[in-house]
Amino acid sequence: MAQSIAKEFTKGLWTEIAPFRIVLGLCPILAVTNTVENGIGMGLATTFVLVFSNFFVSLFRNSIPAKVRIPCFIVIIATFVTIVELLMQAYTYPLFLKLGIFIPLIVVNCIVLGRAEAFASKNAPHLSIADGLGMGIGFTFSLAVLSAVREIFGTGAITFYETPIVLFGPSFEPFTFMVEAPGAFVCLGLLLCIMNLIPKK
Amino acid sequence: MDNKIKLTVSHAPFWHDGDSICKMNLHIMLAAMPAVIFGIVQFGMPALGVILLAVSSSMFFELIMNFATKRSLSTGDFDAALIGLLFGMMLPATTPWWVVVIGAFVAIVIGKQIYGGIGANPFNPVLVGVAILMVSWPGYFDSDAALLNYQFDFKALAPLAALKHQGVSAIDFFPIKTLIMGQQVGTIGTNFGLGLILGGIFLIIKGYIRWEITISYIAGIIITALIFNLSNSGSYAGPMFHLFSGYTLFGAIFLATENSSSPVNLIPMLIYGFLGGLMVILIRNLGAYPDGTVFAILLINLINPLIDYIRPKALGRGVNNA
Amino acid sequence: MREMIKMVMVLTIITAVSGGILSVLKTSTEEKIESQVLKFQKAPAIGAIFDTATNDPLKERFKIPTKVKDKDIEITFFPAVLEDGSKAVAFEAKGAGFGGDVGLMVGIDLETDKIIKARVTTHSETPGIGSRVKDDATYVSQFTGMGFDATFKLKNNGGDIDALSGATVTSKGVSVAAAQVKKLYLKLKPQILNKMK
Repeated sequence: MAQSIAKEFTKGLWTEIAPFRIVLGLCPILAVTNTVENGIGMGLATTFVLVFSNFFVSLFRNSIPAKVRIPCFIVIIATFVTIVELLMQAYTYPLFLKLGIFIPLIVVNCIVLGRAEAFASKNAPHLSIADGLGMGIGFTFSLAVLSAVREIFGTGAITFYETPIVLFGPSFEPFTFMVEAPGAFVCLGLLLCIMNLIPKK
Repeated sequence: MDNKIKLTVSHAPFWHDGDSICKMNLHIMLAAMPAVIFGIVQFGMPALGVILLAVSSSMFFELIMNFATKRSLSTGDFDAALIGLLFGMMLPATTPWWVVVIGAFVAIVIGKQIYGGIGANPFNPVLVGVAILMVSWPGYFDSDAALLNYQFDFKALAPLAALKHQGVSAIDFFPIKTLIMGQQVGTIGTNFGLGLILGGIFLIIKGYIRWEITISYIAGIIITALIFNLSNSGSYAGPMFHLFSGYTLFGAIFLATENSSSPVNLIPMLIYGFLGGLMVILIRNLGAYPDGTVFAILLINLINPLIDYIRPKALGRGVNNA
Repeated sequence: MREMIKMVMVLTIITAVSGGILSVLKTSTEEKIESQVLKFQKAPAIGAIFDTATNDPLKERFKIPTKVKDKDIEITFFPAVLEDGSKAVAFEAKGAGFGGDVGLMVGIDLETDKIIKARVTTHSETPGIGSRVKDDATYVSQFTGMGFDATFKLKNNGGDIDALSGATVTSKGVSVAAAQVKKLYLKLKPQILNKMK
């Protein structure tokens, strides 16, 4: 039993890491990865939603009729997204301001519904939590990597809580393209390319 | 019986006269030479350095990508060299070396090789490189600032930037004749209008670029600029000024006509060129950038596959699975 | 039929429960959220604008309902009494920037009708480019001392506002916000004076 929990947890970290291996959840990964802070914040918010929605979907999986399962899942997911939104507004307001519209958009993030449909609706709650946690952390990690690449090259520093950690000297001239929208596409493409060069196992 | 063999021949964008890609690229480079040499004479050794670095680093990245993708070496067709040359011509002479190298990397790797190399690129690689540099380091494309240390015997202002910031009164500084003779502040290889036109005529006669695109592009520029100018000559410059300043002629002759990103049929070519000219003027007159050529041509590259569906009806009976 | 009833039942229960949870959470976080909005968006700007205030503008805030583009909205005003005894008021307006609305908080001297200071409050502009309108206080300092006879447009559109180089769209958003401030102020000034008596 313990082994399968570990298995469900670790698959989201590498072999099925959401944006890079199964290419899901691209909307947030393209939109909010201009700073590492945003990327990680978005990743954690998604992880929270994933874990709880997976847990509740899995808990009710036997009582939800198959025909209305998608509306049920969406209601559950939307509830947690709204909870995250309210909590972020109340406790991490600056981050909420930066992520803005992308927090409510977690509802339509393919990863969340995808996991609910593909995993949580068929497996026991403890496995679903492990799966949600693994997927969420994998997603957070991917966002962090992409946003780190973009922020470092795009601004020459990484900023946490308004304090920049300058990585390049003053002679560095920011590669502004990277933090702009098209830079996200090019960067994601290159990272996907690198991921494909590394064999799965 | 008649269903057994069906040889369906597509209508003809067939066009071959025994030339090789290598020969074509060498001819295009030759056509660009008057403008390049003029630029080197005008801006001195730094210009030569930028051009050489652009060409050599483009060829270098092409080689790297050949090895990385395990394909046969393709630097021999001079396509990378041509991209490098055109790319270098679009930079001001004072561009730092690392900007040139990054631009060449973007042009060759992201603009060309990722899509599968020569003939497969949906966008003009040169423009992909230039566009990304323009967005990232606009300071180096500001010819006024870049060429501050030069002493010119003509008005030392980039014509289009002056038009953008000072309004139409600025065009009095730039008589058309001096613009044609390349006496304007700008990039290395795109100033010398006369040289570019000569190169263009040479290429059109040799058949390496399609006159339909070049002419309709220029027509697009002239007609659109004229409409703006007639509607309000107080705020929009006239067509001749637009035609001979900035990247316009270079775009019409060397950029819009790039083979794999431009259409092959007559009507699409005319639409393609005209829309390019239209977009250039729209961006210049209404947009935020002083010169819209780069983005305009990228945009028409984007619609190229779509408008190329407008094609002559094949002779004979229509066949559904053709 | 049984299946149908079950579907309706399950869906109703789930939505009812989630609705209940959310309404509880909403009411319990409402106060916290409002104080956060004040603390992070308005307070720094107000503090910078009225650095010599002798009262607490945040506490004395009042709202005036008005119409903007046929929409009913409430605008929060922050009154201040400055060290030299002059009365002033600050409020916020928004203009569309590159990534979304740019909020501009403007402090106005009620006697001279001149801008004391302006600060950008919220924005979602590109870091390092558009975000400089907020980070770089010298940019908005150009508003200081401007009267409402000025034209709040960018200079290349025939106005009086300098654009921040490389961030024209964001600067335009700021100038639109400033123009909005002018419009609202001229319209609501009697009501503001009335409230501050």
